[in-house]
Formats: sequence, C-alpha cells, structure tokens
Amino acid sequence: MDTLALLANGFVAAATPTNLTFALIGCVLGTLIGVLPGLGPAAGTAILIPLTFNLDPTGAIIMLCAIYYGAMYGGTITSVLINVPGEAASVITCIDGYEMAKQGRAGTALAVAAIGSFIGGCISTIALTAVALPLAQLALKFGPVEFFALMVVGLSLVIGLAGKSLAAALLMTVFGLLIAMVGIDPVRGAPRFTFGVEDLLDGVGFIPVAMGLFGISELMLAADSRLLKPISTRISSLIPSRREMRDCAGSIGRGTVIGFVLGLIPGVGAVIPTFLAYVLEKKISKTPERFGKGAIEGVAAPETANNAYANAAMVPLLALGIPSSPTIAVLMGAFIINGLTPGPFLFQERPDLVWAIIASFFIGNVILLALNLPLVGLWAKLLRMPYHYLCTGVLLFCILGAYSLKQSVFDVWVMLGFGVVGYLLRKLDFPLAPAILALILGPIMERSLRTTLEISGGSFAIFLDRPIAMVLLAIAAAVIVTVAFSPKAIEAVSEDAQ
Amino acid sequence: MILGRALVRCLAVLALLIATAAGAAEYPTKPIQLLVMFPAGGSTDIGARIVASIAEKELGQPIVVVNKSGAGGQVGWTEMSRAKPDGYTLGFINLPGLNTIILDPERKAVFKADSFAPIINQVVDAGIIWLKADSPYKTLGDLIEAARQKPGQITACTTGILSDDHLAILMMEEAAKVQFRIVHFDGGAQQMTAILGNHVEVAFDNVGGIVKRVQSGEVRALAVMDPARSKFLPDVPTTPELGYPTVLSNSTRGIAAPKGVPANVVKRLEAAFTKAMENADHVKKMEDTGLAIKVMTGDEYRKYYQDLHAKAAKYTEWARSQQR
Repeated sequence: MDTLALLANGFVAAATPTNLTFALIGCVLGTLIGVLPGLGPAAGTAILIPLTFNLDPTGAIIMLCAIYYGAMYGGTITSVLINVPGEAASVITCIDGYEMAKQGRAGTALAVAAIGSFIGGCISTIALTAVALPLAQLALKFGPVEFFALMVVGLSLVIGLAGKSLAAALLMTVFGLLIAMVGIDPVRGAPRFTFGVEDLLDGVGFIPVAMGLFGISELMLAADSRLLKPISTRISSLIPSRREMRDCAGSIGRGTVIGFVLGLIPGVGAVIPTFLAYVLEKKISKTPERFGKGAIEGVAAPETANNAYANAAMVPLLALGIPSSPTIAVLMGAFIINGLTPGPFLFQERPDLVWAIIASFFIGNVILLALNLPLVGLWAKLLRMPYHYLCTGVLLFCILGAYSLKQSVFDVWVMLGFGVVGYLLRKLDFPLAPAILALILGPIMERSLRTTLEISGGSFAIFLDRPIAMVLLAIAAAVIVTVAFSPKAIEAVSEDAQ
Repeated sequence: MILGRALVRCLAVLALLIATAAGAAEYPTKPIQLLVMFPAGGSTDIGARIVASIAEKELGQPIVVVNKSGAGGQVGWTEMSRAKPDGYTLGFINLPGLNTIILDPERKAVFKADSFAPIINQVVDAGIIWLKADSPYKTLGDLIEAARQKPGQITACTTGILSDDHLAILMMEEAAKVQFRIVHFDGGAQQMTAILGNHVEVAFDNVGGIVKRVQSGEVRALAVMDPARSKFLPDVPTTPELGYPTVLSNSTRGIAAPKGVPANVVKRLEAAFTKAMENADHVKKMEDTGLAIKVMTGDEYRKYYQDLHAKAAKYTEWARSQQR
C-alpha cells in the first residue's frame, strides 16, 4: 500500500468521534499546562498519562500528542501577554511578542502565532509522512562531534541577538555558560561551583532564571517608571491585516524549514529552533532595527519553528525509537505501556496505529487553531486589567510557578535573584537573550565536547575528519567574522568608543 | 428543614472525621515521583515505566517516571538522597553503579550507602557486549584481536563512569590484556544512537536494553557476561564459554526511598510493588523486552544491598588502579 492510502486509513481510524474528543481534551489541557510556567510540557504530559490508561492505545497516544502540542502553544500566551515564558520554547517570543502587546497588538501576536503554528505543524507533518524513514537514518550521522559543532553554531548566533554592543552580548554568553556549569560534573561526578550550598548540587534551573530575567525584571522596570496603568486601553484588531500576513509569510516558511530539519536530529530540544528562526529573521530583514520593538516576524518565525519542531521530533521516535526531548520520552513511555516498542519495526508491525497517530497530528493542529483563534480576544482582554492588579497577579503566578517546579523555595529565590540581576542588566543595556541561550546550550555543549574528546583520545583534530562538523564550524566562523567586520558593526564600535 | 440542616451538619462532621482518619492511614494521597537515573529509552527506564504503569493501579495514585541522568547516576541519586522521605519521591537504585559512586572518593558524593532504604528489587540484568550488525567484528575473538592490533583505538562505550559496564570493560581489558578507548555516555539510549550512527564501535551494556534490536537484526551481540546463557538470547555465547571466566557483570535494579521513610509507607509500597511485579502483565512485558525479573524485598533485599556494597569496595579499589 502506498503512503497516501495508509494515511487515508489513518484518518479513518483517527477521526472517530471518541478520538476527536480525546484530541480536543488533550489540546485544552495542553494549553493550560503551557500557560502555567512551572509546569512544562514534559511534567504535564507525565502527570496526565494516567488519564489515558483506560483508553485504547490509539486514543491514548492521540490525546497525549494533543497535550504536547497544546502545551507548546500555551507557552506563547504568557510570553506575549506578561513577558513570562510558559515553557522554554517560547522564551524568544517574549522579545517581540511582549513589545507587540505593549503596543496593543497582543491579539495580532497571538493570532499570528496560532496561524504560524498551524502551518508549521501541518507542513512538518506532511514532510514527516513523505520522508520519515530515510531522513531518520540520516539524522543518526549526528554524533557527539557533529553535535558539538551544531551547538557552536547555536552559540555563534548570540551575535544576532546582540543589541548595540557585540562585547556585551559575548559577556552575557559567558555569564550564561558559567551558570550552566553549576552543579554536578556530568561525566566524572564531582560537584562544581556549588560553594557548599546543597541546593546548588542540582544546578540552577533554567525556568526560574528565565522567569526572573524576563518576567520579574519587567515588573521592576514597570514599577520604576511608574507605568502603573493598563498597557493598552484599546486593543486593535485581533486578526492580522493582509499586509502583516504578507510580511510574515516568508517568516512562517523559514520557521517551518528550520523547525522540521532540527526536529529530525535527536537531542536538539525545542529551544534552539526557535532561537535560530528568530535570528535568521533579524539577519535577513531589510529593517532589522524593528526587532525587539514589536516586529511581527519575530513572533511568527519562532512560533512556527516551535510547532514544526514538535511534529518533526516524532520522526526519531517513530522511526528509530529514540526520544529526542523529555516530552517525547514521556510519549515513548506511553507507547511502551501500551505494549508498543517505537522503532523501525513499529511501521511494519502496527502500520494501522502509526498512521492513525500521524493522521491525528493533522487533526490536532486543526483543533488547536480552531480552539485558539476565538480565544485570542479573551486572552488579550486580560491586558485591560489595571496594571497594579495585573502586576500583583503576575508576581504571584511567577512565585507559584517557580515553587511548583520542584516544590523548592530555593527556586523562588533563584527567580527573584535573577529578577534583580535582569533589572540591572536591562538598565545597563545588556542583552538578556544570549545569557539564556548559553544557559540552555551550555550543558549539551559541554557533554558533547567531552564525549568527542573521549572518542578521539583527546585530539581536537577529529573535527577535521568529520565533514558535517567541519561545515557547521565553518558556518559559525563565517557568522562571527561577517558580523564582527561588517560596516555596521564597526560603526557601532566607533559609536561605543565615542 | 431544620432536621435536614442538622442531618447535613452531622454528615459533614462525619465526612471530615473519615477524611482525617483516612488521611493519616492511607498513603498515598497524591502522585508519586519515581526517579530513574538514566535517560529515557534505556533498560532501567523501560523496566521502570512498565512497573509504574501496573503499580499505580495498586496504589490508586499516578506514578510519574522522571529521568535524572548524568555522571553514571550521581546527578539523580544526589537529588533523591535530598528528597523528603515521605514516600512521594522514590527512585531506582542500580547496583553496583550506586555503590562505586559512594566508594570512589574522587566523586565526593553527598550520599552514603545508608542514605537509601531499599524497598523492592525488580531486575538482575546480565552484562552483554554488542555492536552494530554490519561491524567487521563478527565474534568476541575478532574484537579482541582488533583491540590487540590497535591498542587504545577501538572505542568502547559505557553507561557512565564506574558503572557495571565500565567495570566490565576494565575486566575484559585485564583478562585479554588489551586496551580500549573508553567513551562514557549517560545511558543505553545514547549508546544505541552512537552505535547505530557509527560514532562508537562497541558497547558494553545489559541484555535488557538490546534484545529487541538483536532480534530485529540491527545489532549483533558478541557475548553475555554471565555464567549461564541468557534465556532471551540463547544463541549468544557467554564469556566463560569463550575463555574469559573472570569477565562477569550484571546490573541489579530495584526501587528505594530516601532514608527515614515511615515503616507503614514501606509496607504499603512493598505490598503494592510485589503485587505489580507478580502481575502477568508485568511478567509478559518484561520478558518481551528481555529484562530478567528478580523480586527481592525486606531483609533479603537489604542483605543483598549490603553484601554487594562490601564486594563493590574491592572492585572500586581495583578499577581506580586500572584507570588511566
């Protein structure tokens, strides 16, 4: 049977009223999980697994996948409205999404995120159906060596996130990397940079840091500038104008490609595609100065990449049996509990099930769009709340979120501490995004470098033997060199000097 | 009307009384976290998810499997040893990996052998040497010969420093007088990716992680590091058969709680998990993935844990002297 016929059968199996209901419930629950900052998609999905126990495998997995997508979208809502990322993948959306909200364009930002997510998710699923198996095999070529090179590319992008000063961006990168080092050495086990503080043994959580740097510092800045009135009394049209849609059509396309390609590689995580998509938009834009000031492309591209990634990340799981993110690992657990072993043989043993799940991805994306577009207005209305109420609400929400991560008061202190740090850094015009990116990439980068050197017996020459790694490192070098020596950069440096 | 209100009030008081009584006696009242110190998709993780899905029906509360990998399990055990001993944080202990971490002074572990209260053992999983199906090394003999030709160049991967797999490599090196280039991963899932992608040549791991892959023809098992052949892979020879009687390795995995967990909680968990592990569904799913069940509870498991810890002291000392 050819792929289309298999997919058609999948639709028949997935589109039963019961399964549609499961998909709907999953999307709603997922959106709620995404909105709560402490509860990421992985923990949320894990807690909700028992809900699916009495369902048949198809229904159970359809519902869990829907929760997963829903959570990916839900994180956007808080990023845009209150500058607090609901989960890691929507950190970058804060930058322009929140600016748009401040200009009264929250509805547009949320709508474009929903539309982008829908398009990215659907195209990614189509690509998944077409090329799942061969591409999955190709992705295995990404070993520790290639991974390290990929992380270097990721880090070189901080330059794209730099505000005025390249040096400030690099400094913030180092700051982020340093924080990433705190905790137990991932290979040899000894504690590092914990200064005898037991709570630091588990490392510094990424979510409390992000909530502090972005959310708490925002509250402090607002209090500072006595901006204690509603962000916008009038919310302009919720649906993006034709011009705005035209502006971000390209962004959505590029976001889809980035999300899909990176989704195929096990272990990349949902954050990197979003950062990459954002930086690319800023790089190729004719008006890069609009970024950070409410550029719609800055919301459209990462949100699209995020969802395209989420769908593509199912490829390594379905085709190779390798879970590529914590959330996917939870989904893999659900497969195993239902007596299915993800991997190349799943396609042969249970094609009915695999294709029903793939079909359900389409259905899930449609439901998500149908669910979120009408709600956009409701979410945006939240901003009409007087700022002193909203402010208190946000603070409470952040504290509860940070606490609920591990039921640890320590995380709340970390968040508040980084709130103060973020406030000072923003006053001094240091960009925050590079620190966050470095904090996310640091551990993966360190782990892959150390494994690389174990494989090579300590020699760095191994990078010269691996074509993929070479190309990636060359890209990173090119990014740095072109930016550092571009006329604009030199201009900026001379401005700084003056 | 008044009678009705009084009745309601009585019922409310009664309900409250029942609730408080039940609250004191009836653990668990909220979801339980089950930490696995290795990444998703490895053999510990698969076994944990299977038993969790069955035991949570016995306990009436969800059991959430959480992966906390790194440094051969040290990252996760650090977190577990510091968790509240209220029965809502449990974790898998992998022996002898846990013991060697405690015993190696360089690790500066914040936990000790008595930081964990063993509750029930699930699996004893024999060690196995395996590589990709299209590898030029068809037998253990081929591999050893190649390692002899190219000392220190054949890459061999573990699931963490001083894990059972790392110890197995060191044993093999000593027995065959060869040297491998050792690469440490966080768990079986990373080993699989690295082997299938040709990044590392051979893996030392446990039978449970790879039976399906051997059956599907993706990977080839060279030798089981156990006195007897594995019932899941009856065609694979053992190391003693191949002339290496000293190369024996396995991983014993069970569930423990942070020390200080109340006796009634231990009793409840022991009963629920024993029932779950004897469940036909558990037995079948474990057998399907090649995990050999060995249930031990109470004094038997505690004694096993203590004896193994004493034995591991010797291993650790020896392994430290072997390490380059």
